[in-house]
Amino acid sequence: MIYNRLTLKAFLSILFFTFSLSISAQPTSDAGKTLFKNYCAQCHAKDMKSVLTGPALAGLEDRWADYPREDLYAWIRNSQLMIANGHPRAVELWNEYKPTQMTAYPNLTVDEIESIILYVNETAAGVNKGPVGESTAVVAVEKSSNSWMYVLLLGVLAFLALILTRVIGSLNQIAAEKEGKTYQKKSLLETLTSKGVVGFVIFTLVVLGGYTTVNNAVGLGRQQGYAPDQPIKFSHETHAGINQIDCQYCHDGARRSKHAVIPAANTCMNCHKAIKEGSEYGTGEITKIYASVGYNPMTNKYIESYEEKSEDEIKAIYTAWMADRYLAEKGIDKLDREGERLVKEQWSDLVSSLTNDQKKTIAGPIEWTRIHNLPDHVYFNHSQHVNVGKVECQQCHGKVESMDVLEQHAPLSMGWCVNCHRQTEVKFGDNEYYQSYAKYHDEIEKGERDKVTVEDIGGLECQKCHY
Amino acid sequence: MSKKQTQVWIGEKDLNGDKEFLKSQQSEFVELPIVDGLGNDEIVENLGGNRRDFLKFLGFGLGAATVAAGCDTPIKRAIPYVVKPDTIVPGVANYYASTYVQGGDSCPVLVKTREGRPIKIEGNNMSPLTNGGTSARAQASVLSLYDTNRFKSPMQRDGESLKAISWEDLDNAVKSKLNAGRQVRIVTNTVLSPSAKAAMEGFTTKYPNAKVVTYDAVSSSALLEATEKNFGTRCIPDYRFDEAEVIVSFNADFLGTWISPVEYTQQYIKNRRVNTVANAKMSRHIQVENHMSLTGSNADNRILVKPSEQGTAIAYLCNRVVGGVSVPGKLSAKATAALDKLSNELKRAQGKSLIVSASNSVAEQTLVYAMNAALGNIGTTVKFGAVSYQRQGSDMACQEFMNDLKSGRVDLVIFNECNPVYDMGAGFADSLSKVGTSIALMSAPNETSAVCSHVAPTNHYLESWGDVEAKRGQISLIQPVIEPLFDTRQSSQSLLTWAEMNSSSEQPYLDFVKNNWKSSVFASQSKFATFDAFWDAALHDGVVETNSSDLGLSFSGSAAEAGSQVTPAGKGELEISFFETVNVGAGEGATNPWLQEMPDPVTRTVWGNYLAVPVAFDGVRKFDGMNNLEDGDLVELTIGSETVRVPVIQQFGQMPGTVALAMGYGRADSGSTAEGIGVKVNQFFTKKGSEVHYYNAGVSVSGKVGKEKDFSCVQYHHTMGVTGTDEATKEEINADEAALVFFNYGMVKQGYQGSLTERSVMFNSTLAELKESVEHLHHKREEYQHLNDQTLYPYEEHKENLYDQGHHWGMHIDLNACTGCGACTVACMSENNVPVVGKREVSRHHEMTWLRIDRYYYGNHENPNVVYQPMMCQHCDNAPCENVCPVNATNHSSEGLNQMAYNRCVGTRYCANNCPYKVRRFNWLDYTTADIFPANQPTINGEEIPFGADNLTRMVLNPDVTVRARGVIEKCSFCVQRIQEGKLTAKTEGRRLRDGDVKTACQSSCPTGAITFGDTNNPKGELSKKLKSPLNFVALEEVNVRSSVTYTMKVNNRDESYDA
Repeated sequence: MIYNRLTLKAFLSILFFTFSLSISAQPTSDAGKTLFKNYCAQCHAKDMKSVLTGPALAGLEDRWADYPREDLYAWIRNSQLMIANGHPRAVELWNEYKPTQMTAYPNLTVDEIESIILYVNETAAGVNKGPVGESTAVVAVEKSSNSWMYVLLLGVLAFLALILTRVIGSLNQIAAEKEGKTYQKKSLLETLTSKGVVGFVIFTLVVLGGYTTVNNAVGLGRQQGYAPDQPIKFSHETHAGINQIDCQYCHDGARRSKHAVIPAANTCMNCHKAIKEGSEYGTGEITKIYASVGYNPMTNKYIESYEEKSEDEIKAIYTAWMADRYLAEKGIDKLDREGERLVKEQWSDLVSSLTNDQKKTIAGPIEWTRIHNLPDHVYFNHSQHVNVGKVECQQCHGKVESMDVLEQHAPLSMGWCVNCHRQTEVKFGDNEYYQSYAKYHDEIEKGERDKVTVEDIGGLECQKCHY
Repeated sequence: MSKKQTQVWIGEKDLNGDKEFLKSQQSEFVELPIVDGLGNDEIVENLGGNRRDFLKFLGFGLGAATVAAGCDTPIKRAIPYVVKPDTIVPGVANYYASTYVQGGDSCPVLVKTREGRPIKIEGNNMSPLTNGGTSARAQASVLSLYDTNRFKSPMQRDGESLKAISWEDLDNAVKSKLNAGRQVRIVTNTVLSPSAKAAMEGFTTKYPNAKVVTYDAVSSSALLEATEKNFGTRCIPDYRFDEAEVIVSFNADFLGTWISPVEYTQQYIKNRRVNTVANAKMSRHIQVENHMSLTGSNADNRILVKPSEQGTAIAYLCNRVVGGVSVPGKLSAKATAALDKLSNELKRAQGKSLIVSASNSVAEQTLVYAMNAALGNIGTTVKFGAVSYQRQGSDMACQEFMNDLKSGRVDLVIFNECNPVYDMGAGFADSLSKVGTSIALMSAPNETSAVCSHVAPTNHYLESWGDVEAKRGQISLIQPVIEPLFDTRQSSQSLLTWAEMNSSSEQPYLDFVKNNWKSSVFASQSKFATFDAFWDAALHDGVVETNSSDLGLSFSGSAAEAGSQVTPAGKGELEISFFETVNVGAGEGATNPWLQEMPDPVTRTVWGNYLAVPVAFDGVRKFDGMNNLEDGDLVELTIGSETVRVPVIQQFGQMPGTVALAMGYGRADSGSTAEGIGVKVNQFFTKKGSEVHYYNAGVSVSGKVGKEKDFSCVQYHHTMGVTGTDEATKEEINADEAALVFFNYGMVKQGYQGSLTERSVMFNSTLAELKESVEHLHHKREEYQHLNDQTLYPYEEHKENLYDQGHHWGMHIDLNACTGCGACTVACMSENNVPVVGKREVSRHHEMTWLRIDRYYYGNHENPNVVYQPMMCQHCDNAPCENVCPVNATNHSSEGLNQMAYNRCVGTRYCANNCPYKVRRFNWLDYTTADIFPANQPTINGEEIPFGADNLTRMVLNPDVTVRARGVIEKCSFCVQRIQEGKLTAKTEGRRLRDGDVKTACQSSCPTGAITFGDTNNPKGELSKKLKSPLNFVALEEVNVRSSVTYTMKVNNRDESYDA
């Protein structure tokens, strides 16, 4: 027991030490990423290579290399001041981008700015693949360190036990000798193969095995953290986070139906008729929407009898668009080899995203990969929770507005549902429906009851969700 | 004070104390004898496993489980719309008003659709015809949409088979055969649609030698002729059963199948409800028939006459009522006396009686009119305002057409949604071969399409535009709720195409209907200024009322003249009558699995027609069927030169010297559901001139020649009677047997608690004895309640703690308003994804229906009354099923629901064993393939998949209700999905739950409102009002399970003196 605690303490202190190291005020790309998202991503492309409202940030150190580092800091903290002061690089930039002004960030520390620059450089160099890879790596490291500790602990304990048996054996031998009896001390092998030890080992294995089996079986079919690739690299972060689009603008079923509803492609078109290039992937992903609904971004018109068009005809329309954007970006008249490769790549990506074994045509619905799957015997109604219960979307779906790739936040297990139903208070006073619970109203009035939870009105009963 | 309850029984088996039956009663789950099993090839095959197979299965099972567990969860796709229609929110049901129509049978309905799939039919409350009521066939019609047998494209005969062609080819082929000189016939059942009629008119104008021949599978031609002859207009009068105090029906099954059953049932029930003891009033209904029909089973008194004597009986009564009518032939003394008495009763109810007859003889129908006229009923119960168009077939026109066919005068025949090859009996198919081109305008194959040269497949009504004028001035619209599933076209549109009258728009028939309405319905109304507004309102409501003022017709016929024309067909020793059933009808329902699996209300048999034979008491203690036949015996039925083998069912109330057999079975070429089920009887109808009569007087029935395979009569399944051991003889004896012996001999043989008579399953009374009966009932109930109060766990206290706030769901069923029509049973199957199991499974007591309608006979053994008792889970507050479940899969909710969690059930079946009402159903087999992985495969290891498991039929499933897998118990949930939906609506709107927010499927389908569902905690609700009736009782109250369902005592207005 003491050993156990000591080891734990030691381990914790080591862990704390490493952790505290990691959060000390060194510029890191992680911190840079957060800062970038909060301050820069509205205007600067996330791939660092395309020009949006603001310039592409890749290679910014090179561009400022002729001036002292402090000038760059000053520029980021307050660009207008520098322009007014007539800094040559500042004026050059102003002439290129005016009348667009860069927002001033006077509170950014040097470390923070360095963090951003670190992140920008790494991203531009292709180091940061995405948030998912990172987080899984972290989890994996933690797990292995944990099990290593247990193995060590087990080893130490086993060793102690062994020593103890040896000591007891020796003591017994001494005692026996004192009494003049002969005592045959057990050899190590005999101790290990004795009935007691073997029985104990088998028992432990069965218990552990059973425990693991049950634990894993309970998790069968659960997909917490499931974040599959989608046919379109749709970023909730861009839409719900940066651009602050309300969840229910697209998921309009949430307030009135059991399904939250994946928006139809025509909902996407409400905005993407105007926004033809994305901040992260340029034309590549948005063209997929156009190809799904049959919208020609060159003429700004829907294509007549689009479903009947052959794949070649469709290809002609959208490769022309891709090529056009490439030429406009590069400012050249004729597609070079790089451009040809890019268009070809984009097109084959589009085809593979919009078609599968069952869906052979490009035209038609976008077949997303479903993330939140409830078993068929569970009835869940979004409107009940969103509209009546006034539950925030994030409570079950996590911080979707900061998810670049959407993942399943909650385990969606029955225990998880039940727990929430136990704790959540019903909007009892506001809704006249609940007047029929006269007894609870009386109790609240008399002060005998301070709240009514979902459980109190039958929220844990089988047929609230299973029928 | 203590009036003896009338005896109640379910059939011969329990009356006679049949040993097998008693045994089967003792064990909850029927155990088939091994011998029977071994004699059955299928079972032997199924049993063909041995140790090796066992090991194989075990190995496979383990392997499969490992693979399933080891694999990743399969990727599921979420597929949104490309362009989402405004009106559709995935997950929210849309309702569209439309009209179910099949020949002359129609019903204005609301169609529930989910994500564009029609899944349920509800009645349309705005219809003056049905007021929201539906029929079993209307309820089941949604399943026919997803019939896998439907035609999938136009076809042309190529030798023996039909091969698919394009519409263009078909139209060209047909048009090349059409010209002004050609003799064309359009053969159709009754057409209720004014627009379809206009289309046919257009066709016949374009091709002047084309004629429309209308016939009905069960003809009302004589009634139409008689009206034309005596009143000057060819129509069926607007019968008002609600205005009549005395109703006499000569063999007319007006509650089941005759002309407009939903409408008539609703009217009829108005005067049959009893809510108070003092001044209780009821109409008297006397049925003159030989077979126990659905209507006869609801009648107060039945006068038994042979089918050939119907004319004599009508003439006799007419002579007594009107006078001066010669009566051909002679009736039995008993019938004569009863008719004498009836005539007096009729005379007392001047202007408040109604006589109807299903006879297909013009003379007999004239006599019926003469009686109604003499009794002053014309204008009160027989009205000529909103006259009915529901039967338009003409036997004469049909005869003429047959003659034309035989003489080869017809060049081309178009069959419009009808099946004359089956209906018309022998010879029709042969004469048809003389016609060069025959076109089937049908949606699914049948006997007629099998001999046609072309098939122009038509839409299901849920894919069609159209209109229906079932009664004058009551028009309803048909609108499509789904795009045609296959390459089909509406029949009227086909006719218009061939007549070259189509507009070039996308939906030409819609334009045609609209234009037709512009000039007719729109022109005759003044509420709307523009046609578009009018059209939108009509589409929304589904129904439009126009002028139905009285036509001012009066009777001008002569009873004496008609009487002289009544000639009974030769009387026979043994006569047979043929009748329609509420489910299969004259064959139109035979292809629908829900209707095949719905038990016939009277015989309670499924999947087949059974020869109803009379039952007689042997004078000692046994009831014997005719020729000592027992249920399920096969006999040889010989009519004329033809002999068929039919199974037998013993039928109480069947007149001795007569037998009866349902029509509509024995179908061929109509798909796997209907083929090989039962025997066809149409060739046995009697013809007198052009008139068709649905009986035959020259019939003989052999003794037992075999046993029906898979005999399935569900009345003997899931019974509530109890057996006991006779102390003296140590014999197993049915409690009812003891009661019977007592009943007949006054022998005191007591101590058998629990017979149907003694147990409080059913209470009944005659109107005359109502006061005493209700006192008796109250006395009984007090006794039960007193016994139930002797407990350590007082219910009232428990109830106060648990159920006195929020909701507590309950149901009330008015047995006096229930006619047993069965609409609720089909509605329940449709709403709750109840699987169809087939005949063999039903014969093994494995039917899955959550709601059954028990049929009990009571009173006179020879001529009993009948009571129908809808029985479903009673949601007992002290439920015996709940505390025996080892895994707590069934338990009680705070709203008083007896909940069933399928995914928790491990299938011990203890609950079903412990249920006193026998309402729990076990999934013995994988009826839905919910259990098989990987699902959605057309076949599993090359074996045929069970019905309903294919992807087309699955479209009918209600997505809000779990499809149950093998090995779990299921039962009525009080439509909990509807309860939850209703509550959510109230919560969303921020108001209290209102009466009517929640209606169970059975309740909303009921044409008479016999079922009331609601919150017992709502004192103002409809349910609370109903629960105050002094006639209420709780089934099996003495077992103290605290059922949430309340019934009313069945009251009839029987006059015993009719039986003397």
